[in-house]
Amino acid sequence: MIFFRVIQWVVWKDLISEVRSRETISSMFFFALIVILVFSFSFSMDQQAARELISGIIWVAFAFTGIIGLGKSFSAELQNDCLEFLQMSPAPKGAVYLGKVAANVVFMVTVEVILFPMFVIFFNLDVVEELPLLLLIFLLGTLGLSTVGTLFSAMTVQIRAREVMLPILLLPLAVPVMIAAVEATRGALNGNPMALYRHWLELLAVFDVVFTVVSFWAFEFIMDS
Amino acid sequence: MIAVRGLQVSKSYGHFQVLRDLSFEIATGECYALFGPNGSGKTTLLRILATLHRPSTGRFEIMGHDGVTEREAVRSNLLLLAHGSYLYDELNAVENLRFAMAMRGASPTDRQIKLALDHAGIGAFADMKIRQFSAGMKKRLALAKAVLVRPQVLLLDEPYTSLDEAGMGMMNRFIRDIVKEGAAVLMTTHDRAKSAEVAHRAGVLSKDVLRPLTLDDLRTNDLF
Repeated sequence: MIFFRVIQWVVWKDLISEVRSRETISSMFFFALIVILVFSFSFSMDQQAARELISGIIWVAFAFTGIIGLGKSFSAELQNDCLEFLQMSPAPKGAVYLGKVAANVVFMVTVEVILFPMFVIFFNLDVVEELPLLLLIFLLGTLGLSTVGTLFSAMTVQIRAREVMLPILLLPLAVPVMIAAVEATRGALNGNPMALYRHWLELLAVFDVVFTVVSFWAFEFIMDS
Repeated sequence: MIAVRGLQVSKSYGHFQVLRDLSFEIATGECYALFGPNGSGKTTLLRILATLHRPSTGRFEIMGHDGVTEREAVRSNLLLLAHGSYLYDELNAVENLRFAMAMRGASPTDRQIKLALDHAGIGAFADMKIRQFSAGMKKRLALAKAVLVRPQVLLLDEPYTSLDEAGMGMMNRFIRDIVKEGAAVLMTTHDRAKSAEVAHRAGVLSKDVLRPLTLDDLRTNDLF
């Protein structure tokens, strides 16, 4: 019971802090907006070509935007030594981790939901029928990035060059998630039968579970070291 | 009963030895004031006892729980008020207290929170964001947190810093109350006069040696 209450409170604390400061989401949003604009001016494509390339562009934007949010997730705890407070609190560290993951997923999905219509407009995509499936893919991909990213955010928060170290550590490990997310998104955008890309979705789900379990277990050691 | 026990606790960072073979005991219902020059290792000792650092060698116990192998039990029994306020800038005073207590598995009532804030003399600022708090108000809010938690072991790192005369009085009143209830308090401080009002024992940590002091020493002698 305490475990779930701690998750709830950590999510509440991170969300309410963000709603009041708007530091993380606004920087994520403007970064992603620049990425979309740069790509849209770099490639002039018809709809078919766009459908082939756009999945990669979407996930590049989502991943790098996510890294901004993930980095802030724990660096915000450095203010007033709040990280120490979390370290020495008797709260289950796994619950703190899951709360942080949940809050990061909310931030990232919020930005993605705002940005995706811009992709649709700038790249002239017709995605009405595939929308529910795309949202599922975004959620699974974002969860995969968030589970491992939250762990690395905690690992690198005390390092002086944390802004550099987080992507260096995170991106190689997130490659399987990125590949699966890109392939699943491409399948959905092309309107392919589900059977052709179902395995990518399953792979995403498996990675999410594996990353969550391993990171959950590792988080306590990181917070205690 | 012994609340805090250190057995040959040493701590070094690389080749720099901060603490060497410190052994000490603090009983329940006792307040111990620890003095020492800057860099003598007072804060390091508190951070070890608060489970933020591990001792390089030696061991310690809090309320009978081993400080290295039973960290969760130790953390449930103690509270550290340190230089950092451990407060979230975007939350107000009440929200910070609620969050801090939730992290300890407790959910205080509105009345308990109001009493704690009043006890620390900041009841009027309950809805103000921490971003707008002065250093002294943050210290008072940390005191309100201690009032709510009422830990069995209270570790205080420079408790009087940033506090005005009234705030120092509130801090000492709380220390007296909690010690009377059976808690053990270990404080590091440079304020001899204020700490002499509440301390039962005192010691000075200097050049790796913990030397006991009498309360008269606090008033008269050159400690270091």
